[in-house]
Amino acid sequence: MDDRRAGRLVGTVLKCYPARWRSRHGHEATELAALLIQDGTPAGSIACSYLAGAAREWLTPRPGRRLSTVACALLAAACALGISAGLLTPTVPARAASTGQPHARAHCRPGPARSVAGVSPATGRSHLIIWTAGHGRFC
Amino acid sequence: MSGRDSRAGPDVLRRVGEASVLILISLADGPKHGYALIQDIRELAGVELGPGTLYGALDRLERLALIESLPADDRRHPYRITAPGAAALREHLDSLERVSAAGRLRLRLGGI
Repeated sequence: MDDRRAGRLVGTVLKCYPARWRSRHGHEATELAALLIQDGTPAGSIACSYLAGAAREWLTPRPGRRLSTVACALLAAACALGISAGLLTPTVPARAASTGQPHARAHCRPGPARSVAGVSPATGRSHLIIWTAGHGRFC
Repeated sequence: MSGRDSRAGPDVLRRVGEASVLILISLADGPKHGYALIQDIRELAGVELGPGTLYGALDRLERLALIESLPADDRRHPYRITAPGAAALREHLDSLERVSAAGRLRLRLGGI
């Protein structure tokens, strides 16, 4: 990564700190990052360290900071995590976890039920499978 | 600095983490700014202190009144250990020494 891009990356991450912190340490932190990059420290590792520091800075209660600010920061972090988890999780387990009545699709409307006796391969015990419109479920 | 933390009890350094202890040790022989601290700690303990960790620890130590920031030269703020900071460091190092001696003794007694 060239120096200009590294500087931009660090500058962006430093914007994540509270304004109070930036006014106190901002210039020095930028200069320190430049010196560390000159020494051969990867810009990504410096950015990660500053990012973790910014998160700690927001989440640490301060005498002058209102609780609502901390709560908002926590809520934003939780939302970001929730959105990420929502994007990553497939929809089928979410439906399976639902406690409401399953919404039957057009192709799997309940039909006449019929029972079939069988043996579970996992337990070796006999069980009854009820076939409903072609979908078998263990009972 | 406003918002000083007055909860500094006996051996306060047990609660502040390794980075803060290393910073105090580095400042024990004279004031230093951030870059000098990182370099000194690398030589002293072989620990690579990230800049985010450094500033977090400096703020915490300053709130506990264990260090103080000196007027900036150019853009850099040098930091200096305070008298309570030196006392806390001495107490912590004494405690570590006692634990270390006990550990060595037990290793000898155990014949390991």
